[in-house]
This record gives sequence, structure tokens and C-alpha cells, in this order.
Amino acid sequence: MTSETEDDSVRVLDESDGVELLIYLVTAARTQVDEAAEYAPMRLLTAAGRLAEMAEPNASARLRPLLRDVRQAVSETAVQAGDPAGYVERLDALCRTVAEYLVRSLSLDTSP
Amino acid sequence: MNDAVLHAIRTRRVARALTDAPVGHDQLRAVLDSARYAPHAGNRRLHRYVVVTRPSLLRAVRMVSPGMLQHPMAAIVVCVDWAKVHGYGFSPVNPGPYIDVGTAAATLLLAAHSIGLAAGPVTSFSRTALATILNLPAEVEPELIICLGHAATGQPPGMRRQGQPGWDDLIQWERG
Repeated sequence: MTSETEDDSVRVLDESDGVELLIYLVTAARTQVDEAAEYAPMRLLTAAGRLAEMAEPNASARLRPLLRDVRQAVSETAVQAGDPAGYVERLDALCRTVAEYLVRSLSLDTSP
Repeated sequence: MNDAVLHAIRTRRVARALTDAPVGHDQLRAVLDSARYAPHAGNRRLHRYVVVTRPSLLRAVRMVSPGMLQHPMAAIVVCVDWAKVHGYGFSPVNPGPYIDVGTAAATLLLAAHSIGLAAGPVTSFSRTALATILNLPAEVEPELIICLGHAATGQPPGMRRQGQPGWDDLIQWERG
């Protein structure tokens, strides 16, 4: 079983993964200039999904469920035009998921 | 009545998840060859088709293509040769070359479908980065990528929109 301390120092990305994500972000910034505004959150979520996919194989046991949750929650084709209220609800649910992970991983609920 | 063409049109889908099963060279040639028969204004051959099959090159293409959700086993990049376009005296705002990219894309997608391949178009990519990666001449600009492969079982949902307008709302018969 990996200790919490070891978990914190796990390296989850190799250089080529980092480069891939970096290039995605730079080129997405450029393509977004010409694309519909509603694509912007979708591109960010795609980046989150790609990051989760890259990190999952090397991630700690503690982090892995969060990465799976992110990948499952991220629909790479979802835009808000079809269902704006539902879209915001799903994003809020994902935000809640990552925040709850932070609370647990940083022991915020027990620290003074 | 032979409705094979209509059937192909109605059953084609954009594939956003592909397996790692390879695309055969003959399949690739068959898809490429279909673009010869796409309706192009004046049959002027203003377009170029760049075929990518090398895994490292495909990975690089995907990196600069935020809209590429799938991992294609092959890709056809439809480009416009702007030197040829200008040579014909087209106005810079003439949409013809772009329209012909669309007719080529539709034909390529249907051809892929007809031989059992899955395909999906991608237009969200950095033109500059892709041209650099593919070492294209300055006057040749990439405009659309056709991703090719075999459809994975689980596909991301399509982009669905609710409510109006309905299909018939988009059609005008005769004068408005």
C-alpha cells in the first residue's frame, strides 16, 4: 500500500504527455478565436479529460477514482446550446467532485 | 428503385472513437479516389490531399487539432492550393474553394462508409501548426481533416440540440 506521503510525490506525466497537453492548449487558444464561444468550455473539458487519461496509469490509488470521475463526466461533444441549465448543473457537479477530492486529500475537514 | 446511395447517406455517422485496427492501403486508396468524383466547380483541381498514416505524424496532427477527439489510424487532410485559386482570378472572398472542400469531404466520408470504414471530419485545428508539421508549401493551406479507422463500440454522444428550429423550418419552398 502506498503511503500518503509517497502518493503526493507520484509523477503522473512523462515529458511527451506534458508536451502533448501543452500543444493542445496553445492550438486550442488559436482555434477558439474562430470558433463559437460555446466551444470554449468544451475545449477546456477535453483538456481535462486528456490530462486525466494521461495521468491515470501512474496515478496513486487515491487519485485514480477522481481521474475516472473526470473522464466519465467529461463529454467531449457537450455544448450548452442544447440544454443550458443541464449543462451548468453537470459542470457544477464536476466542480463539486473535484472540490470534495481536495477536502479529503488535504484533510480540510479535520484540520483546525 | 435502388436506394443504396440514400441508405448510405442515412446510415453514415461521424465516428468520434476509433479502434487501433489498421486501415488497409487499398481502402485508403479507394477513399482517396472518391474525391476525384466529388463535384468541384469547373473541375479545376484547386485542392490537394495529404495522406497521413505514420503513427508519430498522426500523433502530432492530433496534438494541434483540439477538435480531433478520435485517435485515427489514417487521416486525409484536404487543402486548398491558393496559388492555383489566385491564378484563376478568383476574388479573395469567393467562397468557391471552401465549398469544394465541403463537397470533397462529404464524398470522402460516404466513400469510407461504403467500404466499412469509420470516419469523422475535423475543422478545429491550427492551420499554421498543421501546415508546419506537414511541411506544406506556403500557398497550400489545410482546411479539413478526415479521420479514418474502425468504429469503437462506445461513441461519445453526438451534438444534439433541443427545440426549434425543426428540420422543415429550415426549408423554403419557392418564394418566401
